[in-house]
Amino acid sequence: MRHIISVLVENEAGALSRVAGLFSVRAYNIDSLTVAPTEDSSLSRMTVVTSGNDTAIEQIIKQLQKLVDVVMVEDLTSGAHIAREILLLKVFVDTEEQKASVKRIVDIFKARVLDVTESTYTIEMTGGVSKSDAFLEALKDWNVAEVVRSGIIGIGRGRETLNLDAASDI
Amino acid sequence: MTAEKQNIHPKSGTEMNGAETLVQVFADEGVDSIFGYSGGAVLPIFDALYRHNEVMIEEEAVPINLVVPANEQGAGFMAAGYARATGKVGVLVVTSGPGATNAITPIKDSMADSVPLVMISGQVPTGAMGTDAFQEAPVLNALGPCAKHVFLVKDANKLEETVRTAFEIARTGRPGPVVIDIPKDVQNWKGAYKGDGNLPIRGYRNRLEDAKKAVISDGKCAQFFNLLKNSNRPLIYAGGGVITSEASEELRLFAEKYNIPVVNTLNGIGAIPSDHKLALRMIGMHGTAFGNYAVEDCDMLIAIGARFDDRVAGNAASFAPKAKAIAHIDIDASEIGKIKTAHWGHVGEAKESLQRLLSYGKDFEKDYSRWIEHVIALKEKYPMNYDRKSKLIQPYYVLEELNKIVNGEAIISTGVGQHQIWASQYLDFIKPRRWMTSGAMATMGFGLPAAIGAQVACPEQMVIDIDGDGSIRMNMGELETVINYDLPVKVLLFNNSADGMVRQWQKMFFGKRYSGSDKIRHAKDFVKAAKADGFKYSKRVTKKEDVAETLQEFISYNGPAFLEVVIDRDANVYPMVAPGSTYQQMDTGDFIPSRPTPVEKDEFEEIIESDSLPDAF
Repeated sequence: MRHIISVLVENEAGALSRVAGLFSVRAYNIDSLTVAPTEDSSLSRMTVVTSGNDTAIEQIIKQLQKLVDVVMVEDLTSGAHIAREILLLKVFVDTEEQKASVKRIVDIFKARVLDVTESTYTIEMTGGVSKSDAFLEALKDWNVAEVVRSGIIGIGRGRETLNLDAASDI
Repeated sequence: MTAEKQNIHPKSGTEMNGAETLVQVFADEGVDSIFGYSGGAVLPIFDALYRHNEVMIEEEAVPINLVVPANEQGAGFMAAGYARATGKVGVLVVTSGPGATNAITPIKDSMADSVPLVMISGQVPTGAMGTDAFQEAPVLNALGPCAKHVFLVKDANKLEETVRTAFEIARTGRPGPVVIDIPKDVQNWKGAYKGDGNLPIRGYRNRLEDAKKAVISDGKCAQFFNLLKNSNRPLIYAGGGVITSEASEELRLFAEKYNIPVVNTLNGIGAIPSDHKLALRMIGMHGTAFGNYAVEDCDMLIAIGARFDDRVAGNAASFAPKAKAIAHIDIDASEIGKIKTAHWGHVGEAKESLQRLLSYGKDFEKDYSRWIEHVIALKEKYPMNYDRKSKLIQPYYVLEELNKIVNGEAIISTGVGQHQIWASQYLDFIKPRRWMTSGAMATMGFGLPAAIGAQVACPEQMVIDIDGDGSIRMNMGELETVINYDLPVKVLLFNNSADGMVRQWQKMFFGKRYSGSDKIRHAKDFVKAAKADGFKYSKRVTKKEDVAETLQEFISYNGPAFLEVVIDRDANVYPMVAPGSTYQQMDTGDFIPSRPTPVEKDEFEEIIESDSLPDAF
């Protein structure tokens, strides 16, 4: 089963390679991995999408918690959460008919065309994992030249937070 | 607390360079010995140490002992030997590039066996990093997965806190090696010494606090004793965590109070005196037959500071097959449930956990005397044994004779291979921290430098390196180090002109094709080599009848001594539980009796059958 694991790490040299290294050394899957600063400049957030059975996921979380740089770890999938991914993609559209068809799909998926040339549409789409997959599936008969996926980021619903205030509550 | 706060460090406010700051934190942390090898990128540190020691000598204070090995790997294992013998943090200092990469092996080795170290490596100046500079190596990346933590100090202002924090991380929780990579410009940076302060390491410290606070609740204690009450054949499985946590006294009290027998892992040797009535010695691939049979027979296993490693539970599913309950205490949450599901688990120090259970269960009583009779019978029926009539020198015989002389009073280090296992099987260990071996990593070449480190830490203690001809070659250069520092280390070398363990596996599993393991044509004269390095006592024994007397002479020699014993090339390590096999399938060789499979129905079998253990939640 797919799990979205959110990891708060100290903004220190080597934190990223240590987390990524843990996954490769222990042969855990990484479907996607994103890293960016947070509202607190001393912390970065990494979102790792991985898959495995319950025992494997429990080990991943416990092993992450052993890393000195790791401040907090949470399996977002274990509670109510929102997951999003941004997709940027480029489609070659040579005829008016192609343009119209692609535009129709873009509208259906509430995506946006960001850049237009005579023969290309560059499209942005935001959504959950299944929406991204469905969007790509819908475009599969068209001449998609490049797909860039951001990897999934996620956040808990309601008052659920993963930050230092939450850490001190433990 | 306030008094402590007001207690300002006498050097506070003094201007120092980075290297001096580092040495000052060493002094503050009580470091008395450093194992290190100099080089371009650590010159400021070696200079600061020299000047620090000059001042100490002038003030008639104690200088920091500097021990220089032949190779940085030696420095790492010396620091590890120092740490294993004392429980204190071992310190090594190496230069950038090859200095640091040579130290990777002892760092990973110490990680695998949870040994607290602080390693300082010099690094090329910050501005040169990433330019493929002279003697540049990616320490942060290369050692990251091998160490408990690696710091790269880019901000010189944080150097002092970083060093202090490294010691904290190394010794707390599940101990391990911490590396600090210090670029040369940071070593030369000048600033005021603060004398106080650590890095925040918020997540780590929070988790440590949580673990400290997590005293076993009354309810959980009750669950534990309920499992014990429902058990007729409980067995304690003690690992290296008992030694690390200084819990051997509590373990003995616990075992004695409830009358529960104890088996231990390779790293758990010394957790309970090996001659104790309740001790069934080591289990696993080369565990004692009686210890392994006890694991087969127990109906409750209490794992303390042990991790069901594959050399113990090679076939995890059928490890302790009759155990209806497994209780597991470990400081590392990730170990609980990793290999075997624990019916009762607690994350905490072995010492505090055992104290807590002992105080909660002060009135708990259950009669396990039939089980004790059973394990004592196992000990009597399936003892360690070997070909006592052989005309060749049997390694077991040498160890039995050695055991009579040292009687558990020496610190023993070993290389890796057959001699290591024989030493674990045939010597007695009556106290913790007297057995040091590379357990999880099994690094050949560990024994000699580890013995040096232990001898530096414990100058009054007898230290014996029991080594093999393959292993000792790996760090042979450190023979000279023994002499350089006038350390009375004893080196007992078992020479079978082979990588004996590899040869044994080839004998058993690879049709006697001794690929790469045979050293019969190797020309080294070990006795001469030791003499060349300055050993005044260096002898070889080739006849069985000379063994006892020469051992006596060797051990009582006042100073460093080297003794090579030429042993039977075909002496094997038994028992042997082949990889992936169950204990029931254990091969005990020709001289150790083995239990028929399946176990004959005897009185004991009736105990097993009459069990009615309710499901443990």
